[in-house]
Amino acid sequence: MTATITNPLRVGLRQERVISPQCLVIFGASGDLTHRKLVPALFELFKQRRLPSEFALLGCARRPWSDQEFRGKMAEAMPSKVEEQPEAWEQFSAKLFYEPVDLQKPEDVVRLGGRLELIDQQCATRGNRTFYLSVSPKFYGSGCRSLADAGLLKDPKRSRVVIEKPFGRDYGSAQALNHVVQSCGQENQIFRIDHYLGKETVQNILVLRFANTIFEPIWNRNYISSVQITAAETVGVEERAGYYETSGALRDMVQNHLTQMLAITAMEAPGRFDQEAIRTEKAKVLQAARLADELEPWNCCVRGQYGPGGTQDSPLEGYRQEPGVDHNSTTETYVALKLFIDNWRWQGVPFYVRTGKRLAKRVSEVVLTFREAPVHLFDAATGGPTANQLILRIQPDEGAEFRFDVKSPGSGMRSRPIDMEFSYDESFGEPSDEGYVRLLADAMLGDPTLFTRSDEVEAAWRLYTPLLELIEDSPWQLPIHPYESRTWGPAAADALLARDGLLWRRP
Amino acid sequence: MSPQLTLQTPLELAPSDVPTYLEQLWSPEQQGSTGTGANTFCLLVWQPAWAEQQLVRSGRLQGPITGQQSKELIASGRQAVIDADLPLSTPPLDGSVIEAAATFSGNESMEDLRGQYIDPALSALQPRRLITLAPTINDGQSLETMVAAYCPLPEEGGGTAACGDVVVLRGGRAALQEGMNILQPLLPQSMPSWVWWNGFLDEAPALMEQLASAPRRLIIDTAIGRPRHCLELLSQRVGSGQAVNDLNWLRLRSWHETLAMVFDPPHRRDALSHVVQLDVDVEGHHPAQGLLLTAWIADRLGWDLLSSQEVEDGVASVFRRSDGVEVKFHLMSVPMGQPSVHAGQLVGLRMVCQPEQGKGMCVILCAESGGCMRLEGGGMADLDLIEEVVPVQHSTPEMDVARLLSGGHDSTNPLLASAAPLAARLLA
Repeated sequence: MTATITNPLRVGLRQERVISPQCLVIFGASGDLTHRKLVPALFELFKQRRLPSEFALLGCARRPWSDQEFRGKMAEAMPSKVEEQPEAWEQFSAKLFYEPVDLQKPEDVVRLGGRLELIDQQCATRGNRTFYLSVSPKFYGSGCRSLADAGLLKDPKRSRVVIEKPFGRDYGSAQALNHVVQSCGQENQIFRIDHYLGKETVQNILVLRFANTIFEPIWNRNYISSVQITAAETVGVEERAGYYETSGALRDMVQNHLTQMLAITAMEAPGRFDQEAIRTEKAKVLQAARLADELEPWNCCVRGQYGPGGTQDSPLEGYRQEPGVDHNSTTETYVALKLFIDNWRWQGVPFYVRTGKRLAKRVSEVVLTFREAPVHLFDAATGGPTANQLILRIQPDEGAEFRFDVKSPGSGMRSRPIDMEFSYDESFGEPSDEGYVRLLADAMLGDPTLFTRSDEVEAAWRLYTPLLELIEDSPWQLPIHPYESRTWGPAAADALLARDGLLWRRP
Repeated sequence: MSPQLTLQTPLELAPSDVPTYLEQLWSPEQQGSTGTGANTFCLLVWQPAWAEQQLVRSGRLQGPITGQQSKELIASGRQAVIDADLPLSTPPLDGSVIEAAATFSGNESMEDLRGQYIDPALSALQPRRLITLAPTINDGQSLETMVAAYCPLPEEGGGTAACGDVVVLRGGRAALQEGMNILQPLLPQSMPSWVWWNGFLDEAPALMEQLASAPRRLIIDTAIGRPRHCLELLSQRVGSGQAVNDLNWLRLRSWHETLAMVFDPPHRRDALSHVVQLDVDVEGHHPAQGLLLTAWIADRLGWDLLSSQEVEDGVASVFRRSDGVEVKFHLMSVPMGQPSVHAGQLVGLRMVCQPEQGKGMCVILCAESGGCMRLEGGGMADLDLIEEVVPVQHSTPEMDVARLLSGGHDSTNPLLASAAPLAARLLA
C-alpha cells in the first residue's frame, strides 16, 4: 500500500460547533490526567481554533502554585507539542491560570468564586463555567456539594460539572453518588465522562447503523450469531497500582468502556438524534442485558492476572511483582464475560466481552459475526465455510472491516474470505482527534449526548452486581487464572467460547 | 430565542450625555433595579440600509426600516430591477438598484427602527452594547441619539438577567460625523468589540478607518462594493494583523467542504499534484468570492501566481505548480435569471488534473441552484469525471454574524489570511 498523502484541501477545514466563551475549571490540576490528557486536548482545540478567544482554564489543586508555575508545569509536561508550535503555546498558555483550592474547605471554594468573577472580567468568559473533577473518586460527591454550597452551580445554563470515572464502586455506591450530585444540580449539568465515547469509531457505530439502510435490517438475532467486544492493552498496571488494586479490570474497563460499546452496538434506533433520545435507548438496552448465567456466574465469567513474560532480553514482570501491588493480590487484570440481552432484537445472541492488560496486542474492536449461509454450495478454499464478520476497529487504525466470501481465482468454484477495509486515517485527510478533545468540547458546549446519564450508570453497575458480589463474598468461585504477559489471556477464556463452538477473534 | 424586555422606551439624549447616562445605568447602585450589565461584547454596526430606505420611501416596501435582510426587501429589490429596466441578472440589493430606486417617485413616511430591532440570533448572544450608525438618505438630517436598555428574560430556573443597551446614532452623514466622538468611551477596552460594516466597503473609507481600527474585530462582506476595492481592503486589513471576518468567505464553506470531500479518498489525492486547469463560474460581474476560492486552492496546493489579467468575461490567470508545470485559471461571469442576493456567488467549479501517465480526472462542482452545462462541455470525455452538487445555504447575514460572534475568535481564520492577499493579486 502506498503511503497516505494528506489531503491539503482538508487541512484547517473542520466545521465544528462553536463553544461559547468559557472558563474551564480543573480540580486536580496538579495530577496526571491534567497534563497528560486534558491540557493537550485543550491545546489541540486551541490550535484548531475551536476555543473562543474568551476562554480561560483555571487549574485548581492544593499545591500553592502561581499562574506562572502552572503554565511552566504544563509546558514541561508536553515539550514536543510546545516546541512544535511555540507561538501557539505562548498564546494558549496566557489563558491558563491557577488557584490553590482544597475542595473540602468551604473558604477555599468561596475564594474560588471570587477568582472566577475576576476571570470573567479579565477574559470576558461571561459566567459560563465547566468544572472538571479530576480528583480522587471519593471526593466526587463532596466536591459537587462544595460547588453547590458556594452557589457555583446555581445557573444550569452556565455551569456544569464533569465527573471522571469510576462513578461509584458498585450499584449501591453509584446510586448514592447519583443522589448526591443530583441534589447539587440538574441532571443536564452533570457530565459523567467515558473517554471511549469520544472516539470517532465508537460514534461511527451510530452513523453506520442509523445512516445506512443496509445494516439495520440485518442487525439482529435473525442474522447475527454472536458479538465480541474486545479492549486489549499491551501495557501493564504501570504507576496505577494503588488505584488498580482496589478496582481491577471489571471496574476499570468493563463496567464503563466496554459496557458503553455494548450499549451503542445493541441499542435500538433513537427517534431523533437528540441527547435524551440516544441516552434513553442506551439505558434501555443495558436494562435488558444480563449475565449469561446470573445464578452461577462462574459459568460465564473468567478472571485472569498477568504473570511474567517477554523475552530473555526484555523480560516483563508479572502483576504481583509490580511496584505497589500486593504479592498475593487477587485483583483481576483480565476479564472475559458472556452476556445476553433479553429483548426482541437480541434474544439468544451471546455477547462476549473481554479486556485485559499485557495482552498480545493493543486493540479495541467490536466484531459482529453473522450466521452462516443456510446451504454451502461451494467448497471453501480455507477448508470450511467462513461466517461473514463486520469488524469495527475502535483503536488503533480506527476504521471498519467487512469479511465476506468471494470466488477464489481459478477454474473451480471455491470460495475464500476477503476483507473490505475502511480506515479513518486513509479515507479522511486528517487523523481522528483524541477522545478527550471531543468530549471536552462537548462538555463546554453543554452537549451531554456522549456522556452517561444516571440511569445508564446504574444499569451498568446492576448488570455486574452478581459478579461483584461473588468476588466480594466467595472469590474462590471466580478464581484468578494466571496468563503469560503478552499472550491473549488465560486458556479458560478460550474455553468459555469453545463451549459454544466459537473462538475469540485474533485481531 | 430569548425574548427582549425593554426596561425603558428608547430615550432620546444629546450625544454628549450618552456616555454619562450609560455609565450611571450600569453603576453598582443601579444594578439592583436594572439587572446586571452583561459582560460579553460590544457590537458596532454600520447600517446604511440604502436599498431599504429608498424602497420604503418610494412606497415599494412597507416600513418600518429595520436594516434586516427580509424576504419582503429582497422581493421588492427584484421588482425594482424589473421596473428600472436593469439586466435581470442584477442582484436585488445591488448599487445599481439603489441608484435606480433613488429616482423612483414617492415620499412615504419612514418609521426607522434600525438598531432597535434586534435579530433573535444576535440577541441570544446577549451583547452588552449594540451601537448602530444609521445614515439617512436625507443627507441634511440632523443627529438623533437614542438609548435603550434591554434584558433577555431569564429562562425558567435560570440565573439573573444579564442586560445590555442599545445606542442608535441616526442622521445625515455629516451629522453622524458629529456623533463620532462619543463612540470611544462607549466601547470599553475591557470587552471585545466588533465592527460590522453592513454596507458597501467603498462607500465611506474615512469613516471605516475611524470606526474599525484594531483591536476592534472587523466583519465585512466582500460581495458588497467594487470587487477590487473589497479584496484590497480585506488583504490590507488581514496584513495589518487585525481580526477580519468576511461573510463572503463564510458563504464558501460548503464549497470548501465539498471540494475537500472529493479528494478525501486516498487514491484521488495524488491528482491534486497534477492540476492543469481550473475554471470557476460566478454569478454576474463580481469575482471576489470566486477569487477567494481560487486563492484558497492555490495556497493549499502551493501554486505561485505567474500572471493575471481581467478579460472580457472575467479573469484569466496562470499559476505555476511546485513542479514547474503551469496551471491555467479562468473565472467566468455567468448571467443568472434569478441571481442571489449576494453578488458574485459561485455557480460552478471545474478542476482538470492530468498526470504525465495514466488517465486524467475532471472534478466538477455545481451550485444546487444552478446548472453545470457550461463546465460539462469542452472535451472532458476522455477524463474520469467526478461531479458533486454543492448545497445552497440559506442563512441571513444576521445569522452568519451571530455565528461569528458566538465563536469570538480574536484572529483571522488562517485559511482566509493566506488566501486574501493572493485573491487581491488575482485582480490587481
